[in-house]
Amino acid sequence: MSPAEAIKLPLRPFGLAAGAVRRRFRAWWQARLPRTDTMLLTQRNVYILPTRAGLMFALTLMVLLVASINYQLNLGYVLTFLLAGSGIVSMHLTHNTLRAMTLHLRPPAAVFAGDPVGLAITLTSPASARFGIGLRMEAAPESTLSWADVPAGGQAPAHVSFMPQVRGLHEVPAISVETRFPLGLFRAWAVWRPAAQVLVYPRLERPAAPLPSAHPTPGGPATGRRTDGGELEGVRGYRRGDPLKLVVWKKAARSLETGGELVSRDTSATVQQQLWLDWQRCAGLAPEDRLSRLAAWVLAAERAGADYGLRLPGVQVDPAQGELQRRRCLEAMALWQ
Amino acid sequence: MAVTRTSFRWPGWHHLPRDARDTLFLLGVIGWTVLPHLLHLPPWCAALTAGVLLWRGRLALSGGALPGRWMRIALLALAVALTLFSFRSLLGKEPGITLAVVLMAMKTLELRARRDAFVVFFLGFFLVLTHFLYSQSLPVAAAMLLSVWGLLTALVLAHMPVGQPQLRQAARLALRSAVLGAPVMVLLFVMFPRIGPLWGVPQDGQSTTGLSNSMRMGSVAEIAQDDSVAMRVRFFGAVPPPETMYFRGPVLSRYDGREWRPTFRSEFAPPVRTALRATGPAYRYEVTLEPLRLPLLPLLEATTEVEPIENLPLVQRDDLGWGTLRPVTERLRFSATAQTRFEYGPLQRSAQLRELVQLPEGDSPRTLAWAAELRQRPELAGADARALAQAVLAHIARGGFSYTLAPGFYGEADPRAAVDEFWLDRKAGFCEHYAAAFVVVMRALNIPARVVTGYQGTDPVPVDGFYIVRQSYAHAWAEYWQAGVGWVRADPTAAVAPDRIGRSSRLTPAPGFVAGAIGNVSPVLLAQLREAWESVNNRWNQWVLNYSRGQQLDLLKHLGFESPSWEDLALLLIGALSVLALLGAAWAWWDRHRQDPWQRQARQLREALQRLGVPAAAHDTPRALAAAVQARFGARGGTLAGLLHRLDAQRYGRGAIARPSPDWLRAVRSEVRTLAKA
Repeated sequence: MSPAEAIKLPLRPFGLAAGAVRRRFRAWWQARLPRTDTMLLTQRNVYILPTRAGLMFALTLMVLLVASINYQLNLGYVLTFLLAGSGIVSMHLTHNTLRAMTLHLRPPAAVFAGDPVGLAITLTSPASARFGIGLRMEAAPESTLSWADVPAGGQAPAHVSFMPQVRGLHEVPAISVETRFPLGLFRAWAVWRPAAQVLVYPRLERPAAPLPSAHPTPGGPATGRRTDGGELEGVRGYRRGDPLKLVVWKKAARSLETGGELVSRDTSATVQQQLWLDWQRCAGLAPEDRLSRLAAWVLAAERAGADYGLRLPGVQVDPAQGELQRRRCLEAMALWQ
Repeated sequence: MAVTRTSFRWPGWHHLPRDARDTLFLLGVIGWTVLPHLLHLPPWCAALTAGVLLWRGRLALSGGALPGRWMRIALLALAVALTLFSFRSLLGKEPGITLAVVLMAMKTLELRARRDAFVVFFLGFFLVLTHFLYSQSLPVAAAMLLSVWGLLTALVLAHMPVGQPQLRQAARLALRSAVLGAPVMVLLFVMFPRIGPLWGVPQDGQSTTGLSNSMRMGSVAEIAQDDSVAMRVRFFGAVPPPETMYFRGPVLSRYDGREWRPTFRSEFAPPVRTALRATGPAYRYEVTLEPLRLPLLPLLEATTEVEPIENLPLVQRDDLGWGTLRPVTERLRFSATAQTRFEYGPLQRSAQLRELVQLPEGDSPRTLAWAAELRQRPELAGADARALAQAVLAHIARGGFSYTLAPGFYGEADPRAAVDEFWLDRKAGFCEHYAAAFVVVMRALNIPARVVTGYQGTDPVPVDGFYIVRQSYAHAWAEYWQAGVGWVRADPTAAVAPDRIGRSSRLTPAPGFVAGAIGNVSPVLLAQLREAWESVNNRWNQWVLNYSRGQQLDLLKHLGFESPSWEDLALLLIGALSVLALLGAAWAWWDRHRQDPWQRQARQLREALQRLGVPAAAHDTPRALAAAVQARFGARGGTLAGLLHRLDAQRYGRGAIARPSPDWLRAVRSEVRTLAKA
């Protein structure tokens, strides 16, 4: 509890209690919603209530009605009832704006803790055009609404994001989709719990500590030349995960022309530097901070183009390099323990 | 500011940034809404409103910062001070509207949050209503309809946050809400029970023509002609001649030297049966009466019968008037019967008549002397009341009197000499002066007399059968009593200005430029246009402006209610609204269970194929299904496979169709039956 909250506590005990009750109710209620990556909005999951402006509108109508009665203005009645009719119709239109629309969430990419997870959502409208649809994370304030219009019979993208603070495999929190279109007198909304999960790597250490020094591969072919099918020395066929800078473009072009494949420089033929990113090397830090440093080192080692391996208590990732290795190491750290 | 002043150029409506465009549009709508008010509000209000709106428009174009809070407070204080200066009050209709107009303009200076925008919208709707306090004519209604449309468009625009939506699109969406809401509007308008005001509406100081319950001669220097409608009369059958169209209002018989008032009668006193001796034809007529705010109905002299009015008990008074137990504050429609040739009142001089010859001590000494002199004339020796009255009327006709609506004040120096001043010195006035002076003279001659107020005459030409009585037709005349006859009407104004009575030729205004041009080219066309306009206007009056509880109850009678009442109306309205709501719910239910027609067809196809034993999953394409059919039935399944290929073409090929064809499904089903049998 922050100091500010500690001070607030005795001042607004009922407010806090009410907030707690509301939070618990919301958690209970959301737990009832099935998780799905594609949600069809129907009569059953779209809610609607008048907004504050809607209540103000009702008050205005009462004033207009009383004025019409007191001054016996038949045109005043016409105006009042015209607005009342429009208001009632706007309730249906607001609800219609959400109903029968489909929301689809594309699987989110993994991120580092403390970085925003971008959620790409596709809104699909079967028939009519829809306007003013706002999406936000259910827990986020209203100011973070991101707006979209969906064309008739078409699709529109929308993006929302949230910021996970701890590593691990997270479920995507509830997303709320809402609209006040057309008159703002009513707010229709739906709460969506996507089934997708997002993998969160440890928070990166900033600024990153310098990489530990590398060691020549023990027992490996320190130097040497290898001939591969009569080809030039130190060249081999492209393997998935090879960095682009290792591709020998001239040879690759020639090889591709003759129906061959890409050609990479065989780095094992040169002096192989090997780097162990070891839990033990980060002594003196809290476990999460160690992971942060190791994660930063993984990125740095990848940039440096070295072979690197990862040692965590109980987990070891053998040295290698490339996108696959990077992901393997980060995943191991994200899910460690 | 200097930069914008030198480099500002209108970028064109389509190239404006969205914020600026929306703000300018809203400002335009506000300007249109307040424009008709500026004609009858003080000039400073028009100037301030126009100034603020233009300033705001300029800020929107230049993207400048909105004025600070102190600026706005200063403007508000200025507006309040000017309102106080103009009206000496902040309450009442005119000061209220003035303040509302200025506030509306000033609110645009703090259009930041959505809440501010809503305040502008709702204030706008309220301002639209205030126009109807001045006029409910068709043009005003059309202008205000446009205004409401504009406000709704701005509201819709505020809820389309993405990109730069077209104004036309927002206008169409706003129109859609309004049009879809129209049935609700019509239902509510027709069925909402018309009730009287919930509380008294403060009346502004009236200096216009109209009925009132008292009369003070000479207290009004000039009366403004109020051309608003007081009532509309339709005759079933014959129409009485115009000179008999006296609609009787308050009878003023008590005179205290300044003011004429009705005789006080307790409401609990037993009603006196009027000795009415009517002869001649009976006219049946229907009245649509605007709220009078007096406890009486101004009916044709002499109305013998009024059909009972729901919720308003009527009393036939002994002075020939029709009273109500409470002021009439709502629009009424009812029918009645009148006979314009009649005699009434006591035949013998009674104690009741004695107080009707009394004049306050020391009142109008010179007029009294003049009356005594008249009595002495040899030709009037032994004359009865009728002869004396004729002599006085003859004096009015030939004594140098003139009729004017702006006679100035009388009795400023000495109120008791007001009648003297009129009768002997200035001799100019309108109906009140003539009626009051006549009664004073008659009383001085020892003839019981009293002032009667009401309406005289109607518009000369009926519109679709309706004769219109305007507030400007309010009139005051006199009655004197003659032994053996009763009360006799005398209209001294008719003696001085005969054309005021009967209204055979009312002044028609000079035709406008357009009407003149059309009239020059084709008088027939002009007449037809005028007739069409009159007819439309009359329908408008009948169905919108005069729609009253009488019409509502008639409607219920048409619907089969025996004796409809207020409660029936409310119940019917609630019932109709419930049915509407249920319809809405049913539609929502149907909409939820509605399936895409193609999906429905796909489901039916799957069911048919599964009956054949062909495994058909939801994701199988028609082509895959055709292959499955062919694999299972070989050549025998060729027709069915062909049909499935045709489905492929129907959905995706060049000859794709929008909706599934029922013939195709029928063919598939028959083919499936054939295969199943084999």
